[in-house]
Amino acid sequence: MAQDQAMDRRRFLKWAASLPLVGGLVAFSSPLLRFLKPNVEPFAVITPTAGDIVTGEPVVAATLAELAKPWDFRYFVFTQRYPQYTPEGFKTQAVPGVIIRLPQRIRLPWDWVRTVGLTPQFTESDVIAFSRICPHLGCIYNFVPEWREVTSGYGGYVPPENRRHALMACPCHLSIYDPADPAMPGRVLSGPAPRPPRTFFYTIEAGRILVERVEPGGIA
Amino acid sequence: MSTMLANLQEWYRDRRAKLDLFDETLVDRQANPLFLLGPMLYYFWIVTVVSGVVLMFWYEPTPTGAYNSILRIQHDIPFGWLWRGMHKYAADGLIITIILRIYRMYFLGEYKKPGELSWIWAFAGLVLAMISGITGYLLIWNQRAFWAAKTVLTVPVFFDELTAKIPVIGEQFQVGSMIAYLFLGGPAVGAATLTRFYALHFGISLVLLIVAEVFFFRTRRRRLNMSLFPVLLFTAMLVVTSYVLPAELGRRADPNRTPLPILSDWYFLALYQYVKYTPPLWAGLGPGLLIGFGMLVPFLDRGKGRRPLERPFFFVVGLLALVYFLVFTALIMFNIAVIEREPPLVLLTTILVLSGALVWEVRYRRRQAQAPPAPPPRPARAEAHT
Repeated sequence: MAQDQAMDRRRFLKWAASLPLVGGLVAFSSPLLRFLKPNVEPFAVITPTAGDIVTGEPVVAATLAELAKPWDFRYFVFTQRYPQYTPEGFKTQAVPGVIIRLPQRIRLPWDWVRTVGLTPQFTESDVIAFSRICPHLGCIYNFVPEWREVTSGYGGYVPPENRRHALMACPCHLSIYDPADPAMPGRVLSGPAPRPPRTFFYTIEAGRILVERVEPGGIA
Repeated sequence: MSTMLANLQEWYRDRRAKLDLFDETLVDRQANPLFLLGPMLYYFWIVTVVSGVVLMFWYEPTPTGAYNSILRIQHDIPFGWLWRGMHKYAADGLIITIILRIYRMYFLGEYKKPGELSWIWAFAGLVLAMISGITGYLLIWNQRAFWAAKTVLTVPVFFDELTAKIPVIGEQFQVGSMIAYLFLGGPAVGAATLTRFYALHFGISLVLLIVAEVFFFRTRRRRLNMSLFPVLLFTAMLVVTSYVLPAELGRRADPNRTPLPILSDWYFLALYQYVKYTPPLWAGLGPGLLIGFGMLVPFLDRGKGRRPLERPFFFVVGLLALVYFLVFTALIMFNIAVIEREPPLVLLTTILVLSGALVWEVRYRRRQAQAPPAPPPRPARAEAHT
């Protein structure tokens, strides 16, 4: 019995000694994680930091003349610059977008614009610009001018009577969006997407539509 | 506490002594090709590794050079098509044999005592082979590869929805994004991703090769328990397939255009269809739970019976998994996914079938309890060589 207790005491002491040892090892090795993600502060490997924030260049998406009729649209490319963990460090990435003339004016979903420190000149318009990066898993979705093509090519979704107009649809997992939904532009009609696509903030200068910023969030 | 630890150690030592990585203990039953799957697994794996090393001589892991270097391997370099075909088709053979072997082990109850550890290794092998597969096919840098890498590595980002629920540190503790960043080497698929995938693709096999060698060295078992005829047959199959059906290249990756329709490699198709059906958080959790279930099966199925009909519930679960794998693969190949209609149907079928299986299990057990005890079954497998 006494022998057993002595063993227990020894085991307890081993335990007690091992805890700070393990803690020390963890503390020592955590900065080594920076090997995988070098441009962050020590101990901050977990969260994306200021160094990861992407920046972009304003670009002319279309002119107002090009979007004269309802459902006119233009594809454009917005260039983002973001850090990459290669010896070169930075990489530019194209964010494809689509700018659409809607048949009626709607309130633009631009609540995010103020959070990035910009002030929109207007909040209602019949022109809207979406990032074509699907908010589901990041494929590039298409603007489909004819809804029948959505039914035939994107898994057999048939839109209800009031939504039989141009739609947006993703080839990867068949999410389908309605760009003209007045309450929530880009509303998900079908498929696994968790939210509407992200939008671009644009300004209008002398008849040209200038895309300034893309809604942050998600992995490009 | 200490007796529990001792028991655990004894349990582990016992299973390790009976460990069977490539069916070495089932050599005398090889008249049935189901028991040749282990040696086949080893054979296809070694062919994949060797041909992969040969391909590394010519492959260039950069976004601008990758596709061109593979074009050269396929068309310019003497016998490049052969090495590439061998690599691709041996890898396909590897996945097929792992899947068939897992189903064999499942339906014959080989994961039961003392096969628990062998099962866990087999299942981990499947997961690692699939990771090796997806990191490998990005290296071609074609459309299929590019979009597969992109979608797969966006899945973990949705885990942040879960960790955000942790009080206080939740907002900062974005494990999902961290996982994605570490694999991508940045917020998007790029040069860094290619390098990291290249390292993983080769690294997984390298580490497993060392593990297997340690196993063979310590157990003194033969490496390839297969006679010459099947070896020649499979080699001929690989060579003929690479010649008749050259490994395809697809289109060069274009980050600005997702093709319609787009498919993944064949063994991911069922998972791909599943991802269409579920919200994105479940696209990650579902497969995670499936892997967890697979790993824990030996500890969940505590019954003594090894034959399928002696454990109805787990038999039905296995059948259901097989049927879903085949049906989902068929559906996605015909591009059928009506997302309003199918997920409720699938859910309903699953619930009905599983509750039916549960009823069957309960009735079976009740009948067993009433019936006189059956004579002990003969041992299902031979003793391990020592």
